[in-house]
Amino acid sequence: MSEKLQQIINRQNQALAGDDQKVDEVIQLVGFIVGEEEFSIPILSIQEIIKPIGWTRVPQIPSYILGVFNLRGSVIPLIDLRARFGLPLQKHTDETRFIVMKNGDDVAGFVIDRLTEAIRMPKRDIGPAPDTISESETMIDGVGKQADRIVTILKVHKLLERNF
Amino acid sequence: MDEFEEILQDFLIEAFELIEQLDQDLVELETRPDDLDLLNRIFRVAHTIKGASSFLNFDVLTHLTHHMENLLNMARHGDLVIDANVMDVILESIDLMKALLVRIRDRGEDSGLDVSGCVARLDAVANGDAAPEPIVEIAVIQEALAVQVNEDEPDYSAMSDAQVEAEIERLLAQKQAEAAAKRSGSNEAVKNEESEPDYANMSDIEVEAEIERLLLEKQAQDAAKRAQKNQNTAPQEPVVPSTPTVVVPSAPQPKVEAVPMVKAAPSAPSPRRSEAKEEGDSKGGGVEQTIRVDVKRLDHLMNLIGELVLGKNRLIKINDDVEERYEGEAFLEELNQVVSIVSLVTTDLQIAVMKTRMLPIGKVFNKFPRMIRDLSRELNKKIELEIAGEETELDKSIVEEIGDPLVHIIRNSCDHGIEVGDVRMAHGKSEVGTIQLKAYHEGNHIVIQIIDDGKGLDADMLKQKSIEKGIITEKEADAMSEKEAFGLIFRPGFSTAAQVTSVSGRGVGMDVVKTNIEKLNGMIDIDSEVGKGTSMKLKIPLTLAIIQALLVGVQEEYYAIPLASVLETVRISKDEIYTVENRSVMRLRDEVLSLVHIGDIFEVERVFDNSEHAYVVVLGLAESKIGLIVDTLIGQEEIVIKSLGEYLKGIEGIAGATIRGDGGVTLIVDVAALMQMAKSVKSTVGIENGETKKLGVKNSSSDYCVMVVDDSKTDRTIMRKSLEPLGITIVEAVDGVEALNILKQGDHFFDAMLIDIEMPRMDGYTLASEIKKYNKYKNLPLIAVTSRAGKADRMRGVESGMVEYITKPYSPEYLMNVVKRNIKFNEGL
Repeated sequence: MSEKLQQIINRQNQALAGDDQKVDEVIQLVGFIVGEEEFSIPILSIQEIIKPIGWTRVPQIPSYILGVFNLRGSVIPLIDLRARFGLPLQKHTDETRFIVMKNGDDVAGFVIDRLTEAIRMPKRDIGPAPDTISESETMIDGVGKQADRIVTILKVHKLLERNF
Repeated sequence: MDEFEEILQDFLIEAFELIEQLDQDLVELETRPDDLDLLNRIFRVAHTIKGASSFLNFDVLTHLTHHMENLLNMARHGDLVIDANVMDVILESIDLMKALLVRIRDRGEDSGLDVSGCVARLDAVANGDAAPEPIVEIAVIQEALAVQVNEDEPDYSAMSDAQVEAEIERLLAQKQAEAAAKRSGSNEAVKNEESEPDYANMSDIEVEAEIERLLLEKQAQDAAKRAQKNQNTAPQEPVVPSTPTVVVPSAPQPKVEAVPMVKAAPSAPSPRRSEAKEEGDSKGGGVEQTIRVDVKRLDHLMNLIGELVLGKNRLIKINDDVEERYEGEAFLEELNQVVSIVSLVTTDLQIAVMKTRMLPIGKVFNKFPRMIRDLSRELNKKIELEIAGEETELDKSIVEEIGDPLVHIIRNSCDHGIEVGDVRMAHGKSEVGTIQLKAYHEGNHIVIQIIDDGKGLDADMLKQKSIEKGIITEKEADAMSEKEAFGLIFRPGFSTAAQVTSVSGRGVGMDVVKTNIEKLNGMIDIDSEVGKGTSMKLKIPLTLAIIQALLVGVQEEYYAIPLASVLETVRISKDEIYTVENRSVMRLRDEVLSLVHIGDIFEVERVFDNSEHAYVVVLGLAESKIGLIVDTLIGQEEIVIKSLGEYLKGIEGIAGATIRGDGGVTLIVDVAALMQMAKSVKSTVGIENGETKKLGVKNSSSDYCVMVVDDSKTDRTIMRKSLEPLGITIVEAVDGVEALNILKQGDHFFDAMLIDIEMPRMDGYTLASEIKKYNKYKNLPLIAVTSRAGKADRMRGVESGMVEYITKPYSPEYLMNVVKRNIKFNEGL
């Protein structure tokens, strides 16, 4: 009896471990375009994606922070990723979106040029960030290689970090 | 363990509440040393804390409170007269007790503080009148037993005859015990106590018997006490005869009646029981009347109400819009009713929740009698404190913040304000100085006033001192009004005491006062007369989460200013703004007010505005004032303060944000920070600037720029040709939409626009009114050029903001002249 039980438990454990492995191997990302390049962030760090709404300018902050906007009663900072990456500003188009990202209690909205797609990527396809950028400074978590393109994966906690 | 934690928390809450009352009672006690009620109250505090701390195994605290209780008990029984020396020791021990409690709260243990010195002093004072300590022990045991006895009290009415027999036996035994107790007095009690350790060696029966004996004895003593009490207090007397009737019918034995003491004995349970019942009642009622609620829950509730207020604001806005659009429709009436009910209930709800967070300010005031007492002894001055309005309530968070500033102000009054007795006498004042502490409501504010009848503030002396210390320059000092000079005492590094005492004079205190009051959006007003005294008025808003705000506009931005800091708003013409040493100022009645433009503070990009008038919001905070120039005043609104979050925290000049009725975010001005910023911001206020800008730009004719809006190419060409001789830049647009887009792009700064009325997509009238919606184009001259010549058309043109109306056909010279006039062509060259 106890032997049987042990077998069942073992089998269950194996099954669980197997699940873990599978989950571990693939990460889900959401891709978007800023300027000419495609970036992506883990899907779990996205709270929501909304169409552009009005915002309020806040004085005395770096210019890449457009200001704050009202997301159902919460006041949330709005950051323009073009400006953040040093790209020239562009007028919002029909494809412009705000991605609201969260990391713990930190929440902010990011303006992106357009969304591409949700990407499932095996972990082994993700390489480290280029060596030329120092580890602590970079906003790049890694580079995902797909058949026809390269996707830069961003560090959400770095994007949400106040650096002024 | 959790249970222990819970008990510990309850104990701490209770203890701190008790202590708060204690200080005041003690000071009162010194003036009325024979007030028994007061003494009993104080004794009970020591006793309660001792009991609980021994239960919780806080040995040090128990040790200390035990000796305090001892001393207080002697005083209670009249064995000790409380004089100033005794009081000092008691106060010292209470301070120590507080320190221990704080330690327990913070670390969960009471070790590490040395109480032995204090205990020794307590004993010394106690032994000075030499009453034996055991008495206290008995009192404690008695009280402990009393509880037990209460529980063991048999229910007479439910007894059988046999039981009644036994009960009577018991009562008799009790009576005997009492007689014995009377005979041997407290000695026997001591003996009882001494025999306690033997309990362990006793057989069950023996223990039983011993308990029985102690109980009886205790009951007897109690009974005696009660009897005495009953005799003393008339109202209770009717109870006494009625009680035996409960016993007598069930046990009609003359024996009972025959022994006079027994009569007293059975009477004992009754009053006690009724008392217990009363207590139970009041406790039961108490439970219903008050509940302890975690502050976090109230905060959460407050947040929810905040959301509701925002929703209400939004609803009101929508209602207004709907009203405009569907004027006269029947359903509007209904909607109106619903909206007003919702807004009414929301307001009431908000007030109700706010009230749950309110605490009487007495909680803060309570510690001052003690402080004044200590200070007057330390400083050798005679000072009396008068407190009024301690029941005035305000938000818990404010109560917590207001304590420190008040301590500083009162210390200051004692140290610098009130003179030494001799000096006072010499000035013809009474020897005893008075400090009044008052609190009262004034609108949405609470005012706390501290008035002393000391020597008052000397403006010249303050200035002199500040110059010496390099806080201000002589020039500044000369320009200062008396009130401003009083404000100097709040400057960091200022101290008027020639001598630095332990009380004050280090020049930090009053600085802290100002910062703390400003943090609460409060104001300080000082009034003083040399030789008569000083009055300080602290005006603080009742609550912090939801506030009334004045909404102002600058260009296309809006800001909310806490109404608490707004003293008034004035509309002035630009001529009234003067420049003194690069700062803009204006005269406001008999004061000179320095001005700052809100756009300069918040880096608002300002396209020239040459409007004749400006609105000045006069802001007051603590003792300083400033005029804030804004473009427009929107109105007053109830706003909920929201934080900008971790990412944007600490932005200078911004206290937070709020969400308006239209769903947009409006920033809230931090008035204190704004005043600081105003000092360093370079001013661009005044018309000179507008003019220099214009002069700088218009160096040649081509710097003038006019937009021509017409759907007909021919008409555009005619206009262009007519204006060509002027040499000005001309931009063309084919309809209203395009014209608006060109304006928005901002590539050109237009000096005037020529607008056709009949156009596809957007006509001239609509275009004109759209343009006028932008603040920066308010003064842009719009000239209608049209073939419509009717009076009604002209009227409509004026209504939509046109300044001139040219009817086609026109002569090129006429058009040129009109344009020249409107763009002030070459006037500046």
